[in-house]
Amino acid sequence: MKLFDNPIFITQKRLVHRGGVLAAALIAGLVGASLLSGLIAYLADPMNFNSFRSSQEAGKMFYGWTIGVEILVLVIGGFSRISRVLGEERKAGLWDSNRMTPLKPCQLVTGYWLGAPLREFYMAAILAAIGLVIVLLGRLPITLWLGSQVLIFSTALFFGLLGVLVGMTFQRPQGGVIFLVAFIFFQFPSFAMPKYMLTNFLLPTYGIANLFRDSGDSGNDFSLQEWRGMPEIFGVPIPPILLSIALQAFVGFFLWRAAVRKTANPFQPPLFRWETVALFGVLLIVQNGLIWGIWRGQFPTAANGGNFFDGQSLLPTVHGGTLLLATVVLAFVSPQPESVRVKALRSGIKDFSAIFPESSVLLALVLTGVAAIVLLSQFAFSFGSSWEIYLVVIGNLLDFVLIYSLLLEFCRLRFRRRALGFVALWLFILCILPFILGGVFSTGAIAKLSLLAPGVIALGDPANENMNNLLGIVVGHFGIAVVLFIGWQRKWKELLARAV
Amino acid sequence: MSNPLLAIECLRVDFPDVVAVNDLTLTVGAGEVCGLIGPNGAGKTTTMRAISGLQECTRGSVRVNGHEPASEPDELKRQLGFMPDFCPTYDQLTASEFLDHFARAYDVPNRTKRIEECLELTWLTEKTNALCEELSRGMKQRLVLAKTLLPDPKVLLLDEPASGLDPLGRIELRKILLQLREAGKAVLISSHILTELSGFCNTAAIMERGRLVTFGTIAELGQKMGRRQMSVKWRADDGKALEILKAANVKNLADTNLGATFNFDGDTNALDELLKTLVLQGVRISEWRGTGDDLEQIFLQSGAKELM
Repeated sequence: MKLFDNPIFITQKRLVHRGGVLAAALIAGLVGASLLSGLIAYLADPMNFNSFRSSQEAGKMFYGWTIGVEILVLVIGGFSRISRVLGEERKAGLWDSNRMTPLKPCQLVTGYWLGAPLREFYMAAILAAIGLVIVLLGRLPITLWLGSQVLIFSTALFFGLLGVLVGMTFQRPQGGVIFLVAFIFFQFPSFAMPKYMLTNFLLPTYGIANLFRDSGDSGNDFSLQEWRGMPEIFGVPIPPILLSIALQAFVGFFLWRAAVRKTANPFQPPLFRWETVALFGVLLIVQNGLIWGIWRGQFPTAANGGNFFDGQSLLPTVHGGTLLLATVVLAFVSPQPESVRVKALRSGIKDFSAIFPESSVLLALVLTGVAAIVLLSQFAFSFGSSWEIYLVVIGNLLDFVLIYSLLLEFCRLRFRRRALGFVALWLFILCILPFILGGVFSTGAIAKLSLLAPGVIALGDPANENMNNLLGIVVGHFGIAVVLFIGWQRKWKELLARAV
Repeated sequence: MSNPLLAIECLRVDFPDVVAVNDLTLTVGAGEVCGLIGPNGAGKTTTMRAISGLQECTRGSVRVNGHEPASEPDELKRQLGFMPDFCPTYDQLTASEFLDHFARAYDVPNRTKRIEECLELTWLTEKTNALCEELSRGMKQRLVLAKTLLPDPKVLLLDEPASGLDPLGRIELRKILLQLREAGKAVLISSHILTELSGFCNTAAIMERGRLVTFGTIAELGQKMGRRQMSVKWRADDGKALEILKAANVKNLADTNLGATFNFDGDTNALDELLKTLVLQGVRISEWRGTGDDLEQIFLQSGAKELM
């Protein structure tokens, strides 16, 4: 079925048009025209504008604003629109009505993915057209326009898929906005190390900034060195646009599969276990590949004798990102206890062998193994002297993912609908509270007890930290995991006892 | 029944604290309208959602005209129409656009003509170009019914279809259901208003706490319940009729003015014999009415008593 014959797309188009597109198009046109008129005014009388040294610089400035608005409208607006439309249609029962038709799950997903944000597409198209005029008038290379538009539209499609999944997952429409704010919040730290952080390529900030940087006259903006040149993965330079598109396509492929699977059967987890491991593994490989050039396998000795930053915050940030990624993928595959009980009822297996294949705990161990192998790339040639650091980091990762997956399932079993609140409470106690208490009592010793601390400290300040102390903390955290495991086991047994 | 259009076997649906549907087995054949009756929380809606694939089943099987959801989901979807107990409509679409959406989704041939037919069948022709948000609840209910009928499904699941309808709407709904029955559709319909179902249901399934209390044709159920309530009226009172009834060992015999009510334990043949005796003995019968095959009576006697 072609897109224009897809009933979901047709209906979304009707709904968008009934809601009105003229006002939105005019707003986009007026914003674009204002920026264009600014450039025209400069070109007509350059002496009146002290802030620009050339037409190229002025062109970059006005084009930068144009695509800024375009990103805001298309990527953020489109994501919010898709997740909100899907959330509302689920609540109204229309999603189920559509699922009951013979339409294929992929047709349903495509219809919402490309149909719901049509108004935003129209606005972006107008801004893109005005942006082209600005680029031409500013005598900027056409590759700037082409490259940036490709990246914006690929990001819009990527975020659109994310919006579909969020809309299918969250009960309330505002859930999508919260998700987006959290995503952007976690993006900020990576701006400090643009060429080395994966998130700068998944959201193509590096690619776009690099296009500006490499398009002639330097100007005042984007003059930072870190935004220049090609990123390298294990020493292989890769064009940033290509890297961004490849990463978005790779993650988008799994998002697509998850959305289609969830549409076909909402009762199964969105990702298979192998998909989770593949997604986690490849993202970790790319991330570690990006930072390979700094230590070249000899952490903590910098291979290039010092960079624009000394690397102290780089690997701890990567470690934090690994924990965050593990948190997200484990939440995706962590089973709802009720579905496990139903499976146990179906199969008649009521002992622990019914739980392990379903539980996320086993997967947490696999993810730790994958992370351990990938992280080894930073320690490969200095393992003899830095194995303790490595051990602390991997031990910390193991503790974190084990405690998180056990906690998630324990709270779901114990508190059911209130589970999320209790998971947040326990994570706050284990991860954040020690930092607060450390600040209150002005002692780093308490802060080190945080579940996040050992790995970050070991990687951030390996020369001045006593690794044995950190190992002790890691072992202590493992004790918490063991206690949780006992409680978790008991709760599962109680649940299975009810499977009659 | 040789080849039922809807066959449910040992269906079980589990919720965290309750077995919502427990070991449910029932069939609905062509030209049958089966009333699914039960108090709140009996499992009627869950049963319908499980049949339509919107609710995960723990075990059991569902077949729609021989098609199973796991192996032939597309064919099953084409042959099954589900009307939920609320009205999911696109508020910003017109009635005809709403139907067009589903007509395209079901790939209905002669789309425009079929949409007109369905709008006419549900008395919404005048509202063809009205936005869904402008329709009353009853009209939305009829629009969703039109949407359900659009692909001409063989099996229809109607969950409380009359809940938002005014008295006239209910009468019209009854007519539609009779038409569907005559057209050879299999209809499973749930309702709290039992008098509404009794006019056109030829079978009934009574559920309570997820279990099927009883299932069968209305006449079979009347007999299963053991005792049917009868009402008889005659033109002249000479005492003969009451004597005959007493001799027939009827229960709870009550003398009404020129008539009587009583409970009868025997089967239909025995009841026919009793009527024959009365007539042969010269009693001029003006009314002979059995209330024992009324769904409400069946329901009340079934033990599922939390009826609204």
